[in-house]
Amino acid sequence: MDKVTLQVFANHARAAAENMAYTLYRTAHSTFVKETEDFTVQITDPDGNVIAVPMDLGATWYPGLYYGRAIRMIAEGYEPGDIGFTNDPYSGFLATHAPDMHMWKPIFHEGEIVAYATGHIHNTDMGGAVPASLSRALTEIHQEGIRFPPMKMVRAGVLNEEVLRVMLLNVRKPEQNLGDLKAFRGALDTGERKIRAMLAKFGVEGFRKGCIGLLDYAEHQAREVLRSIPDGDYDFCDYCDEDGPNGNPVRLALRLSIRGDSAVLDFTGTDPQLQSALNVPTGSDPRHTLLLVGVYYVLTALKPDILLNSGLTRPFTCIAPEGTVVNPVFPAAVGMRSLTCARLRSLVFGAFARAVPERMPAAPAGNSSILNVMTTDNRTHRSVLAAINPVVGGAGGFPTRDGTNGSGADAAYLKNTPIEITETEVPIRITRYGLMPDSGGAGRWRGGLGTALDFTVFAPNSRVTARNRDRCKFRPWGTLGGKAGKPSDFVLNPGTARARVLGNIDTVTLDPGEVLHIHSPGGAGRGSPLDREPERVLRDVRYGYVSEASAEAEYGVVIRDGAVDDAATEARRSAMRAEETGAFYHFGPEREAHEAIWTPSAYAEFTAILAALPVHWRFFVKTRLFEQMREPSAEDCASRVRAAYEALRRATPGLP
Amino acid sequence: MGWRLGVDIGGTFIDFCALDEDSGALRTLKVLTTPADPGREVMEGLGRLQSEHGLDPAAMTAFVHGTTVGINTVIQRKGAPLALFATAGFEDVIELARLRMPDMYSMLCTRADPLVPRDRIFGIGGRILSDGTEAEPLSEDDIRRAAALAKQRGAEGVVIAFLHAWRNPAHEQAAKALLRQVAPDLFVFGSAEVWPVIREYERTTTTVLNGYVHPRVDGYLDRLEGALRERGVPAAPMITKSNGGIMAAALGRTSCVGMLLSGTASGVMGASFLARQAGVANALTLDIGGTSADVALVIEGEPQYGSGEMIGEFPLHVPSVSVTSIGDGGGSIAWVDGFGMLKVGPESAGSTPGPACYGRGGDRATITDAMAVLGFLGHTPLAYSSVAMDRGKAQAVVGRLAQQLGLGLEETAEAIVEVCVSSMFAEVNKLIARYGVDLRDFTLMPFGGAGPMLGCLLARELGMASVMIPRRPGVVSALGGLIADVRNDFIRTLFLDVAAESLPALRAALADLAAQAERWLREEQRFTGAATISLLAEMRYQGQSFELESGIDPAWIESGALDKVAEAFHRQHEAVYAFADRAQPVQLVNLRLVIAGATAPPDFPPEPLAKDQPVPEGMVEVFHDGARRRMPLFLREKLRHGHVFAGPAVVAQEDATTCIPAGFTARCDAYGNLLLEAA
Repeated sequence: MDKVTLQVFANHARAAAENMAYTLYRTAHSTFVKETEDFTVQITDPDGNVIAVPMDLGATWYPGLYYGRAIRMIAEGYEPGDIGFTNDPYSGFLATHAPDMHMWKPIFHEGEIVAYATGHIHNTDMGGAVPASLSRALTEIHQEGIRFPPMKMVRAGVLNEEVLRVMLLNVRKPEQNLGDLKAFRGALDTGERKIRAMLAKFGVEGFRKGCIGLLDYAEHQAREVLRSIPDGDYDFCDYCDEDGPNGNPVRLALRLSIRGDSAVLDFTGTDPQLQSALNVPTGSDPRHTLLLVGVYYVLTALKPDILLNSGLTRPFTCIAPEGTVVNPVFPAAVGMRSLTCARLRSLVFGAFARAVPERMPAAPAGNSSILNVMTTDNRTHRSVLAAINPVVGGAGGFPTRDGTNGSGADAAYLKNTPIEITETEVPIRITRYGLMPDSGGAGRWRGGLGTALDFTVFAPNSRVTARNRDRCKFRPWGTLGGKAGKPSDFVLNPGTARARVLGNIDTVTLDPGEVLHIHSPGGAGRGSPLDREPERVLRDVRYGYVSEASAEAEYGVVIRDGAVDDAATEARRSAMRAEETGAFYHFGPEREAHEAIWTPSAYAEFTAILAALPVHWRFFVKTRLFEQMREPSAEDCASRVRAAYEALRRATPGLP
Repeated sequence: MGWRLGVDIGGTFIDFCALDEDSGALRTLKVLTTPADPGREVMEGLGRLQSEHGLDPAAMTAFVHGTTVGINTVIQRKGAPLALFATAGFEDVIELARLRMPDMYSMLCTRADPLVPRDRIFGIGGRILSDGTEAEPLSEDDIRRAAALAKQRGAEGVVIAFLHAWRNPAHEQAAKALLRQVAPDLFVFGSAEVWPVIREYERTTTTVLNGYVHPRVDGYLDRLEGALRERGVPAAPMITKSNGGIMAAALGRTSCVGMLLSGTASGVMGASFLARQAGVANALTLDIGGTSADVALVIEGEPQYGSGEMIGEFPLHVPSVSVTSIGDGGGSIAWVDGFGMLKVGPESAGSTPGPACYGRGGDRATITDAMAVLGFLGHTPLAYSSVAMDRGKAQAVVGRLAQQLGLGLEETAEAIVEVCVSSMFAEVNKLIARYGVDLRDFTLMPFGGAGPMLGCLLARELGMASVMIPRRPGVVSALGGLIADVRNDFIRTLFLDVAAESLPALRAALADLAAQAERWLREEQRFTGAATISLLAEMRYQGQSFELESGIDPAWIESGALDKVAEAFHRQHEAVYAFADRAQPVQLVNLRLVIAGATAPPDFPPEPLAKDQPVPEGMVEVFHDGARRRMPLFLREKLRHGHVFAGPAVVAQEDATTCIPAGFTARCDAYGNLLLEAA
């Protein structure tokens, strides 16, 4: 297809996807669709490769989602008017946790499938052990709700009432699932109409060539970006704080190998799959979208007009060893994979930061806690369940400006709820909602500040949940001399005798009058804080973004009576400059302490031991080895791991 | 003989539309804008209206004016240094906004720096709760301290926006009174007096916009009033409002938010007036100028209203005529990327340097240049001879792209237009999906300098069979001001269940709003004619996070027929979202009352049916649909009621060129509109 027609085709394809998205958004029922915009729509080619997505509605994760495996699992094939669906994370590796229901509608032209209209919605609840079907503490997929392998929700235009009845019987909010399902069906029909209009305009051959052209175009753009990056192997790792309640760190490892215009992402060295719901199901797909979400963000940052579709994924090959957190085997629980996915994005950002330091920002906060409260209204005596706000951190320092405060980078799609609406509807009082001073990592370009939220309740037994708690320990990392962002925290009754630090704990019960404080991590800094202009540091102090004490301690800028003391600053900065290490990343003391015990060689030994074990042993062995490795020691770390494992083997019957 | 004048300032031109009150005759004029000295063009236009059309300023009975001074102040960030007094603990409300950012796929997405820098935002102790009760008294010490610091840091005005002022503005009022004492030189706006709606970010940012543009708007209107007086114009100037109405210019000095979208809104009002006159019920208006392309829906003769329209990078939450930007107009620049893909925009040549063919220094190919290369433009003087068309320059810049693409010159020009139209197609598609309308029931109504040039091509892409080009496409916005009502909105956030126990509060709110509205119209506007009142309720199902607006009859509240109020909501919900849940409790969030003092609509006499058929001025050669074709050129001024001709054809007139593709048949109606129907 010629390049002019292709650009026109691209506009029509985007219009078709956006039409579907607006139709779904307009007609859906649930808060998940209406407020959180936790849905996506796509148009795919006959093989199930995404060719177009909407640009301003919905979630950002699925422009490179592959529908083909799931599509082909319906062995009987398709006829016009069919709609296939699945929500099973282990059938076709399309759905990535049970609340996400994916659907696809084949579009026929003269008896042949020429495209699919596709998408997903996050259902409020799909049944299972806990309301909303999501909890970090769940240990196997069966607890996470009812699952449907790829099958037909609609057959030749007729709704499959039987399968629908089974679904509605098993979920807690059937009317919401049903309302969203209807809206979803309407959106797929809209997609079909728009695709038919494209067939009329471009002809079926034109349509086929257009699909091929769009995928090639995105691929070309991605390769152009890769060619601009020096060849090399870029290693990085990052951690989730805990692998379960009170658990051990989860290490995610990556070697990004760039050769010319293609790249390999090797996740070998990543921790074994967990006995909690933090696993990320990817089914050994070398281009699984969940492994590449960070890549989409990087490509869009490096080439802002890049076309988003499956073509982007072609230059990338992922190696995600089976039985690890990033490729768990059945029946590992996966409901809370969003926490791990945030860290996966940081991991990819970190490797690219090393590959193209001059164009990449420092780490974004990388964690957004989602707060919900269940309390009682003293006027009506009714129990009220409500979402409060996502508590979102800032972006990492940019190459030429500070990170954005309180939102941005890979969390820019989240929305908040006005305080006035929350207080009118929910019997709580919010006493603070704003930026967290001193939370942004210091740097030539400062990390964006995190957000703080404080509130109090007025009824006993008020239960608060904070999903996705992380980054209380392992901080967002700074680059090029910039400092790590400050960690998150969650504190009950701060500054009182009854204060209790909750950290990563994600549920807490409050008594009337108790105050809960939460703040997100801040984005990390980029470049040495000693290179930041003193006037800019002074402005940060005047803005309340940075305290005078931090200005002096972290930036070496001494402020007296509201002005920079030049001489004192000069002296302080030259003393600090002598102490600078020149390290590319700054991780903060928690990770440094962890890695003093768990050195690269210790992890290499650990990975080798675990990789040789059957999957069902791995998490058990990890936990026991961590118990043995709490304190630093002068001993060689790798042999310490080996010795601990040998001791464990002697003490554990059945361990191979 | 009396005459009325409508004036609209756009990015490139300022348009004049003078209406003779006796004959209904319209005289129109375009003058190039002088960005450095806004207001001077008005005087230039007045001079030319007198010298060229014999219109005596002393006989002017109305001067209605749409201005971009407010919005430009925001876009250029040249507004007043402000301080913001916010509830302590919530100082970051304008920075956090609603969190979500544009360009959310990019790690490097950003949002605009707030209009008030953080060191002039002051947390003030004191707390009102959601039920309006006071939990903590207002801290007068905080206000005194903040006032001193604000002045020290250069603030010229203060915006006060406290939590729950929508329910109880007592703290805002007390703070304002105290500020008047301790800092009488600072101007002050409280959020509840500007627009008292629930949602702190939306209310605060709206109030900040008001304060930010206030001094410049005030100064501008002051100069304008002075200049009009000097010219001997007896009429008190009026300005067009974002809500499609008009108000006394004197009021615009403080109610600045009401006029931020003045020009775009009056374009839609003008277009809907013309549509009604021509018997068109549903229209998609398309206003393309040199720097912008906007669309709006007119349904059953009525423009659609909404809030949250963007002023530069900031949302404005007062009721406004809903207008959606779909591109950057005739000045959008075409370019070729590394893969060889032809792109149009987002960069624009704007009004300076403008398209290359205007010969004012533009050296990159724009949509207008492509149309010139194709041969659609340049057959008659453009824009009242204020622009000279240099086709050679257009050929040179488009030729450069042709080389890159490996295409012929004219093929390249047509490709530029095609890409531009397909991208407008994509944007219009979002709008229609959002409203859930079927464009086959609509007539496309292009106006503005470049609308008629691209309108038919967009209609073809959208599958719309009917297009209406107004007689004077260049001055529809200016005309909009002439026909608009004196109009204002009054709102009360109630947050009540639609249930019997809410009746007393509803009745009290309604009576209060009606009294406010009467006072505004009769005392502040000194309007003496007939007025209508309409009532709208923004409602939602319990638990929803957004409201839908339904028109309701005040009598339902007075008589206690709340079931009818709820039913109006269910129906609206069904219409917009395709479902309703009549078992769900309904909440009434806002009650909005609109008062409109009617302006006598101009009575344009229909033209009698002509007995002849049009004779082309000649044949022109135009590259169209892949080949060079000879097609007739008509002069708009010679087209008469009943004239019919088939496309392809070009219709030239002094303020626009209409391009009619093959497959369209054109018919001129009794009001001079060109009605185009696709076969």
